[in-house]
Amino acid sequence: MVTRSRPISSEFLFLKTITLFVFWVLFSASFEWVHLGLGLIFSFAVAWLNSGHSPFVPRFRLWLRIFLYIPWLFYEIIRSSLHLSKLILHPALPIDPHLISVESKLHHHAAVVLLGNSITLTPGTITAEVDRNNLIVHAIDKVSGADIVSKQIELKIADIFKDEKPDL
Amino acid sequence: MNILAIIFMSAGLFFLVVAAIGVVRLPDVFSRSHAVSLTDSLGAFLMLIGVAFHEGLDTNTLKILVVLVLLYILNPVIAHATIRAALRSGLKPWKKENL
Repeated sequence: MVTRSRPISSEFLFLKTITLFVFWVLFSASFEWVHLGLGLIFSFAVAWLNSGHSPFVPRFRLWLRIFLYIPWLFYEIIRSSLHLSKLILHPALPIDPHLISVESKLHHHAAVVLLGNSITLTPGTITAEVDRNNLIVHAIDKVSGADIVSKQIELKIADIFKDEKPDL
Repeated sequence: MNILAIIFMSAGLFFLVVAAIGVVRLPDVFSRSHAVSLTDSLGAFLMLIGVAFHEGLDTNTLKILVVLVLLYILNPVIAHATIRAALRSGLKPWKKENL
């Protein structure tokens, strides 16, 4: 027997079903009635089984800002990838691995997750430990580490979340 | 279309080879995982873009896009989990002075 923590909201169920169904149609690329019908049944079943998880909070402004942040992050990824490639191919292997402890000024769980993921996604730096908003970062050399110390990623993320309600 | 595919795949291949060299050359698990993250964030990305160009624009392109999004969400999680496990098990990161 499935126990539910909160009642199912019908618009949430509807939105989830529609989203899943759109993906079904896109992936199956078949418009036969049997396939569409099966897709609708399964989309509804999955949406219904998952409806107890989280309330639907539309935060389009936040998602738009995160979306606009991605190109910048991508530029950073390419920049540090080239730097790391240079390090690896250098005959003398001039690396200097060290751990950096950073205390961020972010006040959202999601913001800290985004910061940790961005740091790890950028080659040359990896988030090793997260405790509330203290991060321990492993950097492969001083140049990669300088990006963490200068906090440019954190400032970008703080800007994304500036209008959200703090929850940390 | 095919020329673009070749360009992207070659670029991807370059980063994959560099990452493989890095895994062999670098001294410990921490710095090696940096090389591995090079594979994920640029090598696989360029490779998949190349495949998308090769396939042309159809539903397969969309599937590749979904793979890309999942790759970018899941890879940092795996890298972080590995490094955290290494650190918590008491492994000391390799230092320059130890030479």
